[in-house]
Amino acid sequence: MARIRIEPNLESAVDFRHVSLALPKRKRRQGGGRRQRLRRLAGETRREEFAAVTDASFTVHPGESVLVLGARSAHRRALLRLAAGTVLPDSGTVERRFLWVPMIDLARTLGRGFTVRHNIYLLGGLLGMTPDQVAEFVADIADSAGLASKLDRHLGQAPASVRQKLAWTTAMATNAQAFAIDEVLAVGEPAFRAQCFAHIAELRSRGVTFLVASEAPRQLDAHFDRSLYIDDESRIHALDVDGGIERMRAARRALRSDEDPQDSEDDN
Amino acid sequence: MDACVRRGLASDCPIVIAVRTIWEHRQVLRMLVRRDLQRQYTTFRLGYLWTLLEPLGMAAVLWFVFSVLLGARSFGLSPYLLFIVLGVLPWWWFLKGMRASTKVFRRARGELIFSLLPTQIWILRVIISSGIEFVLSLPILIIAMAITQSIPGPLIVLFPVAMVMQFIAMYGLALIIAPAVALTPDLGRTVRIVLRSLFYFTPILYTLGRIPEVLQNVAAINPLVGVFGLYRIGWWPDEAIPPSALVVSVASTLVIVVIGVIVFHRLEPRVLKEA
Repeated sequence: MARIRIEPNLESAVDFRHVSLALPKRKRRQGGGRRQRLRRLAGETRREEFAAVTDASFTVHPGESVLVLGARSAHRRALLRLAAGTVLPDSGTVERRFLWVPMIDLARTLGRGFTVRHNIYLLGGLLGMTPDQVAEFVADIADSAGLASKLDRHLGQAPASVRQKLAWTTAMATNAQAFAIDEVLAVGEPAFRAQCFAHIAELRSRGVTFLVASEAPRQLDAHFDRSLYIDDESRIHALDVDGGIERMRAARRALRSDEDPQDSEDDN
Repeated sequence: MDACVRRGLASDCPIVIAVRTIWEHRQVLRMLVRRDLQRQYTTFRLGYLWTLLEPLGMAAVLWFVFSVLLGARSFGLSPYLLFIVLGVLPWWWFLKGMRASTKVFRRARGELIFSLLPTQIWILRVIISSGIEFVLSLPILIIAMAITQSIPGPLIVLFPVAMVMQFIAMYGLALIIAPAVALTPDLGRTVRIVLRSLFYFTPILYTLGRIPEVLQNVAAINPLVGVFGLYRIGWWPDEAIPPSALVVSVASTLVIVVIGVIVFHRLEPRVLKEA
């Protein structure tokens, strides 16, 4: 199924029109398997959903870079996935002018039982590159991840930072016109992060579009034109970068002060 | 399909697009299959030998019980050993593929979040990799032919046709099973039970000719009836499968594929949400 539709004639990079999406809640861990099974046996088949995005209408223009903020990571991630087309809206339409490369948890796919080369080919393939295209970049990718000498060795127990670098550089090699990036910038070594920002800056000057979700928007402000803030009711507000960050901090503070009294009640 | 005809553009038809996009991504598919096989053959010390030993062990046990202990070889065609091997090998492919299809989306959860590929790729992957294992297990058939000293006739050309038909039937079934299990995990158990009973409802240990004639065409609704008939027709051109049963079986395979495509199309958005 060609579920990711591209409209080359569209003016904007991505266009959301009255988009709503509800996602299934992650299963709760507590209670264990038996309780879950008993509940199912008793006929509880309906699974809870939460509203990830509600009636979102906004447009991102080509060349813009937009920060996606919000107190909950599931909401931010849902927005990125909607933009890239790896999840479809319940209602409303999402149109995109070109392919968006979603960079969400890419490092998880890297298999430790496979060689670095194989992992690069596979990840590249999943992101839509042909092996010929990957072949062009494979040396560069391994080099910038610091794995140039280990190209044909198993990835093994490579540290998370190395995996992350590998995933990042592979995704960047797609040379896409738009990226939807989740969290990558919040973690990793400072040096690598600086490198990522340099890369983003360079791509921005070439007119590449970015949608970046982050939990820690510190130091990011310089790289973005504006922000989209997703509130607790999963509604989206278009703000400037500072406004978005301010809103997010306020939400965090509110969340923390909400939690505190609850904790003390539980103690009693 | 109607919609495509109305628009008069074959290239706009969802099925044509689906086939084309899968073809465009065949190299990734090959990599995923290789990945499966590599895991299969490097995790275990005996590696490839397991591909031979598993069905071989099953065929040997069935042959011993039914032929030697029960003296029931008249249920099948002679030589019974070859008859059983020709049933067990394709059955093994079917079993492995269907079992794997109940887990595809759970396994691919991480990839579904970002993968830009058509979702069917994950289903094709498990059916192709179990199919390759089937091809790799064919030496058992040659051994069985050597032991029973039976050479197939010209209709052996239908052997590859049987493989294609089995592939199509499995793909159609998996298009239904995989998303259904992803959305309702309990169905995974059901599928396992159905598979176990299907082993006895499929002419693996017996021929279709052994069941009452009235029921033959009903039994042939099971697409595997036609598939197994085509596998065996090279050795037993007359007894392997009655022509009417073959027609029913092929028709039911096509119906399953159509239903599979429709079901998958409906459930795909919800499967993506689960990722």
